[in-house]
Amino acid sequence: MEKVNFRTQVLTRHLLNNDHRGTAATAGISTSPCLSYTPPEISSKPFPFDVNSMRKLMDGHNIEDRDWLFNLMIQSNLFNPKLRGGKIFVVPDYNQSMEQQREITMKRIQYLLDHGVFERWLTGKGFDAEMRKLALLEVIEIFDHSLAIKIGVHFFLWGGAILFFGTKRHHDKWLKASEDYHIKGCFAMTELGHGSNVRGIETITTYDSKTEEFVINTPCESAQKYWIGGAANHATHTVVFSQLNIDGNNQGVHAFITQIRDADGNICPNIRIADCGHKIGLNGVDNGRIWFDNVRIPRENLLNSVADVSADGKYLSAIKDPDQRFGAFMAPLTSGRVTIALSAIYSTKISLAIAIRYSLTRRAFSITPNGDEVLLLDYPSHQRRLLPLLAKTYAMTFAGNYLKLLYVKRTPQLIKTLHVVSSALKAILTWHNMRTLQECREACGGQGLKTENRIGQLKGEFDVQSTFEGDNNVLMQQVSKAMLAEYVAAKRRNKPFKDLGLEHMNKSCPVIPSRLTNSTLRSAQFQIDIFCLRERDLLNRFAIEVSENQAQGESKESAFIVGYQLAEDLGRAYSDRLILQTFIEAENNVTDTPLKEMLGLIRSMYVLVSLDEDVAFLRYGYLTVEAAATVRKEIVKLCAEIRPHALSLVSSFGIPDAFLSPIAFDWVAANSWSN
Amino acid sequence: MASYSTANDQILIEEKSSVRKFTLNRPKQLNVLSLAMGSRFWELYSECAKDSSVKLIIVKGKGRAFCAGGDVAEVIRDISQGNWRAGTLHYKYGFMMNYLLKIHNKPQVAFINGIVMGGGSSVSINGRFQVVTENTVFAMPETALGSFPDLSASYYLSRLPGFFGEYLGLTGARLSGAEMLACGLATHFVPSEKLSLLEEALEKIDTSDPFVISSTINKFSEVPNLKEKSAYHKLDIINKCFSQRTIEEIIAALEREAAENKEDWFSNFSIKLMKKASPTSLKITLRSIREGRYQGIGQCIVREFRMICHVLRGDISTDFYEGCRAILLDKDGNPKWEPSKIELVTDEMVDRYFTKIDEDDWDDLVLPAFAFSKL
Repeated sequence: MEKVNFRTQVLTRHLLNNDHRGTAATAGISTSPCLSYTPPEISSKPFPFDVNSMRKLMDGHNIEDRDWLFNLMIQSNLFNPKLRGGKIFVVPDYNQSMEQQREITMKRIQYLLDHGVFERWLTGKGFDAEMRKLALLEVIEIFDHSLAIKIGVHFFLWGGAILFFGTKRHHDKWLKASEDYHIKGCFAMTELGHGSNVRGIETITTYDSKTEEFVINTPCESAQKYWIGGAANHATHTVVFSQLNIDGNNQGVHAFITQIRDADGNICPNIRIADCGHKIGLNGVDNGRIWFDNVRIPRENLLNSVADVSADGKYLSAIKDPDQRFGAFMAPLTSGRVTIALSAIYSTKISLAIAIRYSLTRRAFSITPNGDEVLLLDYPSHQRRLLPLLAKTYAMTFAGNYLKLLYVKRTPQLIKTLHVVSSALKAILTWHNMRTLQECREACGGQGLKTENRIGQLKGEFDVQSTFEGDNNVLMQQVSKAMLAEYVAAKRRNKPFKDLGLEHMNKSCPVIPSRLTNSTLRSAQFQIDIFCLRERDLLNRFAIEVSENQAQGESKESAFIVGYQLAEDLGRAYSDRLILQTFIEAENNVTDTPLKEMLGLIRSMYVLVSLDEDVAFLRYGYLTVEAAATVRKEIVKLCAEIRPHALSLVSSFGIPDAFLSPIAFDWVAANSWSN
Repeated sequence: MASYSTANDQILIEEKSSVRKFTLNRPKQLNVLSLAMGSRFWELYSECAKDSSVKLIIVKGKGRAFCAGGDVAEVIRDISQGNWRAGTLHYKYGFMMNYLLKIHNKPQVAFINGIVMGGGSSVSINGRFQVVTENTVFAMPETALGSFPDLSASYYLSRLPGFFGEYLGLTGARLSGAEMLACGLATHFVPSEKLSLLEEALEKIDTSDPFVISSTINKFSEVPNLKEKSAYHKLDIINKCFSQRTIEEIIAALEREAAENKEDWFSNFSIKLMKKASPTSLKITLRSIREGRYQGIGQCIVREFRMICHVLRGDISTDFYEGCRAILLDKDGNPKWEPSKIELVTDEMVDRYFTKIDEDDWDDLVLPAFAFSKL
């Protein structure tokens, strides 16, 4: 709690009335501070809008539950509170060994369990229970990705599999037991040889009608289950994904409940488990590998919501088409992509809040002789690095909230939309996170390298997001593939587009004014027009390219594959337009004028930066060269306009100080000798 | 700012070498802080901060109390002669002096040899060192008075181990000196007979170095035993119950605990205390501590000032006046709270305590700019 000498002197000087300045100065140069920390709250303008309202808009729901959980974590020593510069910070100790990180993660789960955090996570039904669960998971994510993933695997993957793939008998037996952690679940889908391509997995299950048991086997090394979170140390049960072979007929991928450890933690017979080892991040999660050697499980352990096997060994399914069966099977797994997308945004918020707060207190170089050194964020170049990422984070927050509601309120009719939206946003938001983390890390200079300052470490912790629950590139291909299918269907039937937000294709092509004025650039109409124009044109081009390739004898699949360049552009165009739409919708629901004006500014920044970054606008002539230059100039202006509000914008993230880091506050005190 | 230090025999001031000693001198009233004392303290702390010859401050109370809180009777009298705004001046000085105490650079040693309650706790805890004795009795009794722990209490209560701060703030339960030391509300335990020797020793050190001061006090200090029936031994139950999200859930958790553990005194004791308190007070106190956990000292003070203004204004509930009537004036010990039940206090009502007072020419407490340094 020691305040350094010069800091107190600075404070004292504040306290002293000006007429005492003279006497204070006589105290001598030697005692005056070399560098002082001035909180950004002092140097920044008063908040032009209500920060709490903005936070409510962004967090969207269950604000009090979130704050309660932050409180729970701050107050427990398990969350590693550290006093730095007179403030408490809670950040995991990433200098712990992998084994230590895994054990403390499990202990943290126990603590949260004991305090009722997981109540109704599996047994609760309905909108409120679902939203509470998602809100609390987001808060956990802000503390530590490992903790959230380990919890996510247990509740969303294991629990979700039982909930969605299982039927009453499974629900009765497993849901409450899982919610109370009497059993610990994991999710054995990925194999060494197959990740995103789940249909290609090689684990085989057969049925023995004499004993009414399934028999699970790992036929070869590439069929070993890989990256199974929870498997290496703690999980007692798993959902095994496996080909189901009945009487020599492969019925495709099915899911089975299998116990892998007894209550004492001993590995069950005929199961072999190995560790995936140390990773570049997420070491609090015990990823393991599993082999099954003639593992026998009761017939009832088949999760049979889609298909079942009768006692005498007949395969029964209401869905005859294996493709459809697989689709029905995978649909509920979108929860993973939803939570990943949402957590990516909170990670960017942490890093931006830290980097921007630091840039409002750290100075470098003076630009006048004997002048004060300049605050980092007063350099236009520094603004250009951070503020567009801030605007994008706002935009993607609204997109994330839209995705969340789409997921929670999903209906069978919306499954396809949900699949496409969650794929697109999972990829775009996690890429945005990684990019933001790198920029923020660099923006903090050397301080960004310290793990106590979080940002650098978050790179390792969150890198996996672009891979798990579907590789980002594969997901983006799914987006353009779905768009192409929609296009082909609409053209073939000569009917209007009515899905994936492509309705704008039914209208006439938007016209972009040749001279872009300042007010045009900032109008929502222009902004949505130019995004729609790009999306529409790219979709047309992509459809033409694919059909031309097919005309030359290529198969539909390979025609799609060789069209990857346009496919990538198209996926991005779709995502940007979707994000902008959700932004405008959120904005339209705001009635408070200062808030609305701020959001307008941020939206313009989001759009103009997107225009500046995607070469497609120039390549295909949606923008003229002159217009592109105008856009670029406008970004500089927007940076200057947003700069005074940078602090209020990151304060609106609602992340308590304790979850940021020492450089976000008094970093001089935090690094002083006495600290 | 105008001076209210006319009755300045209420604080005795001694200058010994580089030490300033302030003695609260209203022993009959258990040294409750009057408006005059608050403003005088504010002046004294301002002067000490400026005066480089002052290196250490000692604050103590005359008689059997260190300080039993704010002079509520005086507040009520001032309000009855004017309007609610008249009462806010007390708090304004109280907040300002505590703010100064917390952020200025002169270490203070508080000799808490007796009762320390409510706002009186702030005067000691916001300083650097707190010396307690076998005579010390601590409590935050505000919820039983229809108010809430203020003068920055949401800052320091929220920073106690686990959810001990919620326990103290909501129940108003008493602590001994040993318990204060255990939970971090005090830095040293010194037997009362050694206090005068300690005082002499501190007069001689002539330094602001906290390490030197601390080791000087250490020479006289002891490690006291916690009594067996100490709430601090119940930290696991406290953490389990007082970590709950709402007052309703906290009470339900305590009731579960009481049902499961019939011999245990603690849960029923806590329930009893909370049932006596104002339901509105309980809810705003919980919210205040929870928010205080995220906020810096300056933010806590500005927010608490808003809250106390609502309390004095009586626009949401008049429990404060009812509490003062029942406990301090009529002394029937039987306040009629309104709303009378916890579940009748809505979130919307609680929210309003945290909003700016909507009246012409009324402003939030303005602290010097560095209030927001989030210390």
